[in-house]
Amino acid sequence: MRKGTIRIAAVVACALFLAAGVATAADIKVGHLADLTGPTSSVGNPYAKGIQDYKNYINGKGGINGKKIDMLMFDYAYDKNKAINQYKKYVEEKVVAVQGWGSGDTEALTGFVAQDKIPYISASYSAHLMDMSKAPYNFFIAADYTTQLRAGLKYIKDNWKEKRKPKVAFIYPNVPYGIAPIKGGKEYAKELGFEIVGDEEVGLKAIEANSQMLSLKSKGADFAWIGGTTPSTAVILKDAKKLGLKTKFFVNLWGNDEDLFKMAGDAADGALGLQAAALYGENVPGMKLIKEITKNQYQNTHYVRGWVSMMVLCEALKIADKKGQLNGPGVKAALESIKNFDTGGLTSRITFDPKDHRPNMSAKIYEYQKGKLVLKKTIELPRKMEWLGL
Amino acid sequence: MHYCGDYRTSYEKDAEILQTPFIKVCMGLFLAFLLVLPHMLKGEYLWILLQILIASIGAVGINILTGFTGQISLGQGAFLGVGAYTSAYITAKMGLSFWVGVPAAGVVTALCGMVFGIPSLRLKGLYLAIATLASQFILEWIFIRWEAVTGGSYGITIPRPSIGEFTFASDLSYYYIVLAITVLMILFATNLMRTRTGRAFMAVRDHYISAEIMGISLFKYRLLSFGISSFYAGVAGALFGHSLKFVTSEQFNIEVSVVYLAMIIIGGLGSIIGSVFGAVFMILLPKVLSVVTEIVQADLPSIAKLAIAFEHGIFGLIIVLFLIFEPDGLAHRWKMIKAYWKLYPFSY
Repeated sequence: MRKGTIRIAAVVACALFLAAGVATAADIKVGHLADLTGPTSSVGNPYAKGIQDYKNYINGKGGINGKKIDMLMFDYAYDKNKAINQYKKYVEEKVVAVQGWGSGDTEALTGFVAQDKIPYISASYSAHLMDMSKAPYNFFIAADYTTQLRAGLKYIKDNWKEKRKPKVAFIYPNVPYGIAPIKGGKEYAKELGFEIVGDEEVGLKAIEANSQMLSLKSKGADFAWIGGTTPSTAVILKDAKKLGLKTKFFVNLWGNDEDLFKMAGDAADGALGLQAAALYGENVPGMKLIKEITKNQYQNTHYVRGWVSMMVLCEALKIADKKGQLNGPGVKAALESIKNFDTGGLTSRITFDPKDHRPNMSAKIYEYQKGKLVLKKTIELPRKMEWLGL
Repeated sequence: MHYCGDYRTSYEKDAEILQTPFIKVCMGLFLAFLLVLPHMLKGEYLWILLQILIASIGAVGINILTGFTGQISLGQGAFLGVGAYTSAYITAKMGLSFWVGVPAAGVVTALCGMVFGIPSLRLKGLYLAIATLASQFILEWIFIRWEAVTGGSYGITIPRPSIGEFTFASDLSYYYIVLAITVLMILFATNLMRTRTGRAFMAVRDHYISAEIMGISLFKYRLLSFGISSFYAGVAGALFGHSLKFVTSEQFNIEVSVVYLAMIIIGGLGSIIGSVFGAVFMILLPKVLSVVTEIVQADLPSIAKLAIAFEHGIFGLIIVLFLIFEPDGLAHRWKMIKAYWKLYPFSY
């Protein structure tokens, strides 16, 4: 009797196991590394939510040509070692692509994804991830940091009315993320005819920036670029206001979002924010679906970028699946075949090329005005090959 | 029949590392196990195993300095970085082979460690800890700013080693290189501690005034200790860099130094095997914790979020509890276990 039950149980278990195996075989496996509880979680959460929401939306519609996307989120809490461990697990599970997050882990994984031939879409927009000799399997969906900095400089120069050269300074933390765009940015600033008056270091965890702001004041900088995160930007803006600086700030993509008002108050007024995606509720065609999915619950701009990042990947999966090449190299080729992809105005159109993974060369420039972000202009730069990787 | 107690009849016998046939067989089996183990592990665990081996070298290094010579160092992370960058520069930028890069990494880091070890003549304890902490910050600053050599914020992509046509591209093949180097370096350290130099280190640690009166040159042995310790760090860093195939400054911050210090405290100060235990413990613990969290997540999703957030706290708590209940480290516990079985069942 007992033996019989065990036997039946075993048969049922086997059947279930097989059924599960069959069900997953048709699925498309994708990895997702997110920071939900680590130091960058305040922006990591909305970004990850954007990715997952779009995946759920596609699965709800029947998936990619009838195949569901199997993408479990892993919270690596901004710990590189955890990210690498999890990535090794993904490789074993034969994922066809990975949605990643931060600079440190994306860079640490660059060599591996190239070797394992797994396309990796990150939220780290360092220009050197576009260096095809080093990072042939890396992708992202926003213009790189340096390009955005160049766009900011161009916007300022175009609106500069005085005869003398505008003076510009650079404020950034002493970490790879902060330093990466400086070299290319300075070269372009010189080319445009800026006078570079110097660099200031403000750490990501800074709680005051008085000495740096005093130095900026004595240098008489007309403009200053801020490359940090939103909290460090708030510190800089507040201290600058306190000391009565006339400097106009323009801020890198991760250093400004809707939260800046909460942190900096009216000190944020007049600052320029560089962005790559539309704000929630902006009047663009793609926003309708986001509003529907999020049930009109406000999300910040990082959510939109996560959403678009998954949108682009799904497009590539569709192409790869049609060709019957649902594997790493197949998805890479599919991504590289994407031309002028319309995200419904959520970002500028996206194009990937086998020799150039820069999605586009455009940056949106917003001005912070009394609790509102006002779109001033979308700057489009030429796709110069000598800028690739710099 | 084997009798209880030591029955050695010659000095050669007394100086053997593996003293009984039983231990020889055990060590042989253990080595065989290490050779087979990677074939039984999945990719993620193989990677962890690889990191454990590399960390063992680094931990032995800092144990030579801190555990055996009594010089606290908070700069191990940066010294790992010096090794990684040296090997990266030699292999990626100069185009020489891995087999040149790794020893060179050891030598360069040893020199670098000796420079930062010079204050050890005058400074002791906490003062020295702060001086080595300074080395951590200085080196980190150099990593990120000396662009011509370190690649600055861009980092350096480096190749895996190769012999002729064959490249050790997979983690599995690379594991065997690391295993061989680890075994050699641990053997060397074990032997070193039985030589005149090793005894001098311990004399300096236990009572530096007495040591000096006995004719031990403090300056020489402290500096030597810094050199050897940094050599180990350099090799470990180089192996780590090649395992990851990419080196950036973010990988060698103060956190790494603290983890290495924790390794030898948990493993056992002044014990080679303790360093290895510590490396195993510190590398495995985060993984164990995340596996536990995953299980909790499946059964009790409501507290999962809390559990993930608490992971760091639990990590700290385990270490504190460890220090309270096992202050002499895992090496001491290992000794007790061995003693128990040696005398079993007559433990009197």
